[in-house]
Amino acid sequence: MKKIIAVIRREFVERVRTRAFLISTILLPVFIVLMAVLPGLMMSGSDRASRVAVVDASSVGLGQSVSQAMLTERLGDGPDTEARYSVQVFPATAANLAAVRDDLIASTGFSSKKQKDGWDGVLVLTDDTLASGKLAYYGSNVGAMQSMSKLQRSVSNALAGVRLGKSGVDAALVKRAMAPADMDTTKVSDGKLTGQSGEDSFLIAYFMGFVLYISILLYGQQTMTSVIEEKTSRIMEVLTSSLTPFQMLLGKVLGVGMAGLAQMAIWGGSVFLVSSQRAHLAGLFGMSADAVHSFPIPSMAPGLLVVFLLYFTLGFLLYGALYAAIGAMCNTIQETQQYAVFVTMSILVGFFSVFSLIKDPTGSLGVTMSYIPLFAPFTMPVRWSLSSVPPLQLALSLGLMVLALLACVWLAARIYRTGILMYGKKPSWRELLRWIRA
Amino acid sequence: MPLPSVSVESVTKRFSGHTAVNRLSLEVSAGGIFGLLGPNGAGKSTMIRLIMGILEPDEGRVSLFGSAHGSRKLSARIGYLPEERGLYKKMKVLDHLIFLGETKGISRADARRRAQAWLERLGISEWALKKVEDLSKGMQQKVQFAGALLHEPELVILDEPFSGLDPVNAQVMKDIVVEIAASGRTVLFSTHVMEQAERMCDHIAIIARGETVVSGTVAQVKADFGGRHVALGFSHDKSRAETILADRSLIARVDDYGASAELQMADGADPEQLLAALVHAGVGLRRFEVVEPSLHAIFIAKVGADAAVAHAGAAA
Repeated sequence: MKKIIAVIRREFVERVRTRAFLISTILLPVFIVLMAVLPGLMMSGSDRASRVAVVDASSVGLGQSVSQAMLTERLGDGPDTEARYSVQVFPATAANLAAVRDDLIASTGFSSKKQKDGWDGVLVLTDDTLASGKLAYYGSNVGAMQSMSKLQRSVSNALAGVRLGKSGVDAALVKRAMAPADMDTTKVSDGKLTGQSGEDSFLIAYFMGFVLYISILLYGQQTMTSVIEEKTSRIMEVLTSSLTPFQMLLGKVLGVGMAGLAQMAIWGGSVFLVSSQRAHLAGLFGMSADAVHSFPIPSMAPGLLVVFLLYFTLGFLLYGALYAAIGAMCNTIQETQQYAVFVTMSILVGFFSVFSLIKDPTGSLGVTMSYIPLFAPFTMPVRWSLSSVPPLQLALSLGLMVLALLACVWLAARIYRTGILMYGKKPSWRELLRWIRA
Repeated sequence: MPLPSVSVESVTKRFSGHTAVNRLSLEVSAGGIFGLLGPNGAGKSTMIRLIMGILEPDEGRVSLFGSAHGSRKLSARIGYLPEERGLYKKMKVLDHLIFLGETKGISRADARRRAQAWLERLGISEWALKKVEDLSKGMQQKVQFAGALLHEPELVILDEPFSGLDPVNAQVMKDIVVEIAASGRTVLFSTHVMEQAERMCDHIAIIARGETVVSGTVAQVKADFGGRHVALGFSHDKSRAETILADRSLIARVDDYGASAELQMADGADPEQLLAALVHAGVGLRRFEVVEPSLHAIFIAKVGADAAVAHAGAAA
């Protein structure tokens, strides 16, 4: 036991001390912050107030109604937020419509620095607009789907109001009738509200799968590489004379694993910090608080956190043992590819199954995969987060995981024992079987 | 009679077709220095790996301290320096030594203290906090040497401990090896440099092609070999000696080093006869000495120079 601890400590300390660890530890949170902030930044970029010129060639003063409808649009939810549009109506007649329009277009699409009183867009309303709903918009931001659909909705609302008003409906009534629906989604589990929104559930599921995927690939490969390094540096020969393969394997897998978990903890901590301080951070980045809230960083329910950590640890160790065994079989990194591809593939299958699970968390695919130890660490936390998992299924899946882990460590230790000193020779599958049996 | 430190009984090890060690037996008694000699590829390293339990013998038995448990169970009592030196390149020297000590079961604090003492002794204490990869090869070897001896094992197994060392460092290592033996512990080391073994070892075993050629105490091996041997040193006119040295009635065997030579006298021939003949021919002599046969000469005689060379080429 003392020896295993010595191996664990060595693996952990030597890994944590490296520059690569430091760099990846610092850069990933930066990446996380960017991930959290960038969509907000991008949204707020396209969401700034725009100056729209409304050319009204209709005979019923359609421009007035449309501009009024547009002026009620705000950039955010609160009453004190900035108006989405600043609108100016240019009356025109059928005769000079083209001239007025072209004149305005000539001062459209410049950046505000270049031409302060330029337009972001020109909206052209005619009599035809009221009759058939046809209208034209010329602008610099026509590619921004969201902005366009918002504009279209404003105009539609205004048109509907005008049409209803023409049919004699009271303006106040029209306004009430047109009030938009606003739906909040909340997840229910075991007949209780979890407080998670649907969007949150998705994000958590995606996040968990991603973290496991990245960490297994990163640290599993590291376990494999470090076994190979030990073989090429021949330190193995000194170690095998004082340590058993099981001690070396377990120490290595746990040591590398702990380095990984330490990094995760640092990252987890920084995510927590970012999410609790995001309003403050947003200020630093010059964004409106609203833009940040449009990209929520969900918090995990304690039960889910426990399930996730349990599966994360088990999965991490299981894949670590597999990678270590592959390292023991091979002499160079290139050689490992032949075997490692199977492991990588099951990681990928596990990870991508998360996406189909998100769509159908209670389906038979998810249930089956939670019983396969190589996939369970991906699927089970997601199922737990998106639906309610029967306790029996959870217990069975965890039990299978533990069994598979033990079997895998045993198997890896057998291969390790023989493979560790097999320099310069790649074993065939038959030889591999013999090593395991030996 | 104490139990032998190492006992190898008729061990055979084959590697895909070729037999590296063939029914080899040897016994290393407790205390003293045992030299395992042989040309490259004789099976020395294989033998040592078999003793260390890194390889399993196909036939035969290896026991350490009279126990068949294998070196791993007994690792706290054994220090091992493999032929292929290996250290974690990125680790700091002191940390590395502490780790090696820990794998032998000594406590961290104890390992640190001993590691520092060893670094001091080997004159590399100022490198303690440097990474292994920053050290020269010779220094790395010293570190590994210290790692093998840190836990004060009663049996020290060194595979080619002096190879790749400059004379000064080889001297330091030699002193340490001699000191270990002087303290009553056992050293088993392999080498292909016969002269070195001759000076240091109490017991030797010469192996070639995986088989024991000769073994015993150095004195015994030399006495058993018998014959009279003469060491010559030439100062000038060596060419005039050629016909005399080729005379098989006078000289049985010549081991020519150019400026010097080691001769085995033919049965019935006297060294005096040889000296007279050489002086008469006008050969300039720097040295003329009746000597014990060198291990090298014994080895060549037993194995045959051709075989030794051919074998050295064939094996790795």
